[in-house]
Amino acid sequence: MALALLAAPGPVLGHAALIDVMETRAVTIHARYDTGQPLAEAQVAVFAPDDPRTPWLTGRTDADGRFSFVPDGREGRWAIQARQAGHGAMGYITWGAAEPGEATMLALASPAATDGLQRLVLAACVVWACISTALYFRRRPAGHKGAR
Amino acid sequence: MTQRHVVSTVIAAATMLALSGGAVAAADGKLVLFANGEDLATDGFVGRKLTKDGWELHFDHVFATVDDLVAHQTEPPYDAEAGGEPAATVSVAFETGGPVTLDLAAAGDDGRVRVADAAAPEGHYNALTWSAVPAPGGDWAGQSMVFIGTATKDGRSVPFTLTSADTHEYTCGEYVGDERKGFVTAGDEADLEITFHLDHIFGRADKPADDPMNQEATGFDAFSDGGTQAISLAGLHIGHVGEGHCAVSYR
Repeated sequence: MALALLAAPGPVLGHAALIDVMETRAVTIHARYDTGQPLAEAQVAVFAPDDPRTPWLTGRTDADGRFSFVPDGREGRWAIQARQAGHGAMGYITWGAAEPGEATMLALASPAATDGLQRLVLAACVVWACISTALYFRRRPAGHKGAR
Repeated sequence: MTQRHVVSTVIAAATMLALSGGAVAAADGKLVLFANGEDLATDGFVGRKLTKDGWELHFDHVFATVDDLVAHQTEPPYDAEAGGEPAATVSVAFETGGPVTLDLAAAGDDGRVRVADAAAPEGHYNALTWSAVPAPGGDWAGQSMVFIGTATKDGRSVPFTLTSADTHEYTCGEYVGDERKGFVTAGDEADLEITFHLDHIFGRADKPADDPMNQEATGFDAFSDGGTQAISLAGLHIGHVGEGHCAVSYR
């Protein structure tokens, strides 16, 4: 009788792993040289609006120079820095608007820009849009913000 | 101070006056401006970091004469690729009393040369304008940059002095480096930095020959006869803010 009770099926409590899946807005940066070459595996640091000196998130771009993150809801100007092999750039995005924001990745080292005409062409090529986009992601436990 | 800097400073001052209701904002902190030529100025082009054409360079002096040094708070942040004038809301000029000549090869233990400081209202100074100008006097009067040192390749050593009289005007965005810079708070000081990238002049052997920097860089072969020679820096992006970019024009 006792063995039968122990073997009887019943609810399992306490250690179930759950995943909520939802759609959200995120920020994606695309870091590249003005030649078009991506900043692959570049160091990325993200700074929140109310603490602009301390990285809120760090990580690396992928092979195509892209990096995505979901701001934690603090509204205002977020700053994103990408660096690789002595080249660096800052980008900014204002977060909190109802519509997807836009940002521009600024100022990659550009030794090729030698005169006014060429510079305008290169500037037009290097400026890119960073569009908040909807994507699926897995919700992470609180306190894991250091991971991409 | 150039005409563009006079205009921007006047606009910023007028903006501050309007925002403060007629009273000039109090100076709440201090900005300190440094310059450096990275390890290429202090240690030279050595090891893997030879010039693009394989020369080892050691510098006794890397003189740079700078002027018109102004830090700005801008809104929006300055886009050096787009160029133009920074939209300054506050501008702070570093009063140097005229052009000042720095020796980037004689940097301190932190690899930097202190240029100037200035009282500054609180805020984030996310743009910097400055010029490299011919020195008005001294041993190298008329030259904006002078490189003095020894080059070595294939067992041959060549003492050299390279002089440039070019005037370059830089408008830079935010400093990019290990930490963000330029945040002035009440009673505290913050620093900014001008960074000279000498590899944009001489190239780097540890980068591919088709790297855009190497394609534009002059290298050293052209100066292998040694002695005192003129070098043109026009078109080269030497001045940065850390790793951050600057818009540059040459005269």
